[in-house]
Amino acid sequence: MMEPGDARLPVFNNRDPVYLQVVRHFKVDIATGRLKAGQTIPSRRELAALMNINPNTAQKAYKEMEDHGLIVTEGNSPSRVTSDERILGAIREELIAESVDAFIASVRQIGVPVDELLDIVKRKYETAMAGEKEGQP
Amino acid sequence: MIEAINLTKKYGRRTVLRGLSFTAEKGRITCLIGINGAGKSTLLKAIMGLTPVSGGDIRIDGSPIGKGLYEHVAFVPDTLTLPPSMTVAGSLRFMGDFYRSWNPKRAAELLDFFRLNPSDRISSLSKGNAAKLNLLLGLSLDTDYLLMDEPFSGIDLFSREQIASVFTSDLIEERGVLLTTHEVGEIEHLIDKAVLLDRGEVRREFWCEEVRQNEGKSVIDVMREVYQS
Repeated sequence: MMEPGDARLPVFNNRDPVYLQVVRHFKVDIATGRLKAGQTIPSRRELAALMNINPNTAQKAYKEMEDHGLIVTEGNSPSRVTSDERILGAIREELIAESVDAFIASVRQIGVPVDELLDIVKRKYETAMAGEKEGQP
Repeated sequence: MIEAINLTKKYGRRTVLRGLSFTAEKGRITCLIGINGAGKSTLLKAIMGLTPVSGGDIRIDGSPIGKGLYEHVAFVPDTLTLPPSMTVAGSLRFMGDFYRSWNPKRAAELLDFFRLNPSDRISSLSKGNAAKLNLLLGLSLDTDYLLMDEPFSGIDLFSREQIASVFTSDLIEERGVLLTTHEVGEIEHLIDKAVLLDRGEVRREFWCEEVRQNEGKSVIDVMREVYQS
């Protein structure tokens, strides 16, 4: 999934708990399909080295994901992404809702009528997606 | 756990530690933060029994410091304290002769990891390589606790990154690490606990993730509040 030097490795901000930023990174990977249902994930130790984080933080992130059913660990075998479709679907919805909420919180201060706003969003989003496709090799 | 309880230290008429208390837990990275002269190095030396204190107690896993301390706690001072004519390999042998807790296998791994040349003389090492060797000597002791005085001070970015990666590895697993810094910057997300010192007193001691979670503040935010108030 991730390699050291991978541009997608998270850059941590220092104001949100690091373990939650790690969890979010996993959620994004799951929602976008970079991590598949049932796929093995790195050990806690590997993750700490890979993401340059404190091993205690890696441990806490995995505990959080286990508690929420995102990953499962059976006995001594490596942890895996859950195969529970309901949980996997919820992750995507949660991420979308989070991003939209943040956008609304920021844009509502400007007081744009909703139709105008939706037009702008649609246009900009399509341009951004088209640009992304062109950028790919 | 390392406990400092109400520590006082005077150099002549100058008081450098004023009733200072804090704890550093096993399996955690604790960082003593303060400007130069805040008492950080004195505190580490006091824990190592290298300087007498004027009052208060130091306990390591409940016991006062005494014989056998150096097999339980390793100290990485802020400069390499070995004869300049010694080679890197010679310094490793020297440590092996001196400490029962010396782990030659780990030393060999670290030599490789830090890309140090065994035949180099101490006097010929760059600042960054001297800092790495210094750290290697401390990390290769199988001790429960590891104290480091300013491990990131005065060395280049890439050496700092390499040293920081030690904190993300199994090299420190299960051990208690206590380090000092006057500049928390790039290691802020690596430490478990911060202890803010000012003129020989603890101004605040906190778990970094808790402060982020409960107050939405970074370590630097808390430092600003404490030192600029």
